[in-house]
Amino acid sequence: MTVTDWVFLAVAAVTLFSAYRVVVSRKIMHAALWLGLTFFGVAGIFLLLGADFLAAAQVLVYVGAVTTIIIFGIMLSTPEELRGPSSDAGSDADSPAAPTRRSFLPLLTAIGFAAVMVALVNRGEWPSPPGSVATDTPRLLGEALFTRFVIPFEVASVVLLVALVGAIALALKEESGQ
Amino acid sequence: MTLSLSVVLAVSALMFGLGVYGALTQRNAIRVLMCIELVLNSVNINLVAFSRYVGPDQALGQVFTVFVMTVAAAEAAVGLAIILMVARRKAHIDIDQINLLKW
Repeated sequence: MTVTDWVFLAVAAVTLFSAYRVVVSRKIMHAALWLGLTFFGVAGIFLLLGADFLAAAQVLVYVGAVTTIIIFGIMLSTPEELRGPSSDAGSDADSPAAPTRRSFLPLLTAIGFAAVMVALVNRGEWPSPPGSVATDTPRLLGEALFTRFVIPFEVASVVLLVALVGAIALALKEESGQ
Repeated sequence: MTLSLSVVLAVSALMFGLGVYGALTQRNAIRVLMCIELVLNSVNINLVAFSRYVGPDQALGQVFTVFVMTVAAAEAAVGLAIILMVARRKAHIDIDQINLLKW
């Protein structure tokens, strides 16, 4: 075990623990903050895998933007909206720890999937880690994006534009309807 | 660097399982969205790991990760806009009780 291995295991443990906390936190704001820590952990994993540009993009896009708009979404909702209809308000519907009628099959599905994947991964023959790794990933990414993947790249920009317009339109329709 | 690919893939699979479990059990729409982000991130780990171990001089897997990030950002923005609109109209965002496409 080299130092890199230990660092990876530590980062992976932090990531998995915070992902677990996202699922089980009783307060939704705590879950959102744990989600931010998970994104940071994934950025660390990217860094350890040699994807430095993606690690920076992960911090900018996920930690900087996605977590922020999720927190905005939480703060723009009233407590009643977050907690659900008042019919079962007494049973603390916001709490995921409260057993729902659907809690068994999802558990089976998730554990089954993870177990099957881990078993497959352990049995597989995987390529050994390459000795040298490309250090100029931004150049490689840019070349790939603007030559071989130029059409998906343009489509992705259209997707972003449509999402931008769509999000604004959804919010504006509500405003003008009142 | 001796880190084996299977360890990275196992971490990714566990995170995917957590995200799937959360997305299936949560009743709050914002929480479901957060769990879907977990799933997308675990897939990104997979893509980057294979890019690192299989074709380290091309970074093709990282290109796909860029696209996944793009779509995830768009999904989060539009999803939250929809959730906010539903919350204003129905006064809750319990996905068990949102069963209309139009009202």
